[in-house]
Amino acid sequence: MHELSIASTLVESVLKFANSPPPKKVLKVLLQIGEFTCVEPEQLRFCYSVVTQKTAIEDSTLEIEKVAAEVRCPHCDYAGPPKYWEDALAAAPVATLECPTCGNATEATHGHDCTIRTIRYVEQ
Amino acid sequence: MIKIESSPEEIYDIELEHSLLEANAKLAEGNRALLDRNGITAIDFMGAIGSGKTTLITRLVEKIKDRIGVAVFNGDATTSSDADSIAAYGVPVVQIATINGCHLDANVVAKACAKIDLSKLKLIFIENIGNLICPAEFPLGSKARVVVVSVTEGPYMVRKHPHMFLGAQLVVINKIELAETMGVSVEDLTNDVHKLKPDLRVIPTSCKTGAGIDDVVLAILAV
Repeated sequence: MHELSIASTLVESVLKFANSPPPKKVLKVLLQIGEFTCVEPEQLRFCYSVVTQKTAIEDSTLEIEKVAAEVRCPHCDYAGPPKYWEDALAAAPVATLECPTCGNATEATHGHDCTIRTIRYVEQ
Repeated sequence: MIKIESSPEEIYDIELEHSLLEANAKLAEGNRALLDRNGITAIDFMGAIGSGKTTLITRLVEKIKDRIGVAVFNGDATTSSDADSIAAYGVPVVQIATINGCHLDANVVAKACAKIDLSKLKLIFIENIGNLICPAEFPLGSKARVVVVSVTEGPYMVRKHPHMFLGAQLVVINKIELAETMGVSVEDLTNDVHKLKPDLRVIPTSCKTGAGIDDVVLAILAV
């Protein structure tokens, strides 16, 4: 349940912003989560609603945007979407580090994000 | 519930690009720098409860302790039983009790580093909490991450936890003496690892018969 510790860090950061002058009311937080991370959006939303209770951002909403994985191959210089493992018995195809063109190991260039992109607010 | 209604011109969006994992990543870099300055390599062992992390570390300590200085940081939610069994070999052991935490983070590893004399060490083995998901997001400052899976966890252990393997530098498939009894193929598990990350080294081991342990020692000394 690392979503709880991520939600705590998130709420701490948003509260710090909300409490800095001038007074603000936070409406929405937009978070970007990369495809290579194992952060579960539904659990994170639940944890956010729990952690924000009785705080100044209790009524704010959390919007989560997925960031697609991208890889680069040091062997054949391929750069782009990763190869997906289609029949891994998983609910969705699994992003892998196998190069889609030459089959060697690639490096992830995008998809490790867990980032607050924007905070929408009104000044009070 | 208080509702704020305002005209669109009063609504602001601030762009932040604030990473929530950055605080841990920075502490991990700090740990790495501290260990590098002291000429120490840290190896982080991740795997499910019962995969054999403690027993594997114990076998490695037995083989290595008379050659180079080695210490063990033992992450455990509540008990000190694992830490006690390794301490019996006369190497420095720090038990990190996470109580309800599901993973170690770089902060507790920094605290553990402060508890021991680093000057006589070349290697630190860090045993993570038995969990195949959460530790993947929290680097500790180690030079290599080892995933320990055992054949007793069934045939789909690798594909069920892809993130753990994508970030690893070595995979140990443990308890191979039970593979036939379990009807689990070490080769299939290895193929699954290579589907996720083709260059990831896989070493089959048995802590009971000693098979493969010397290969793990060599792989770790080469990190």
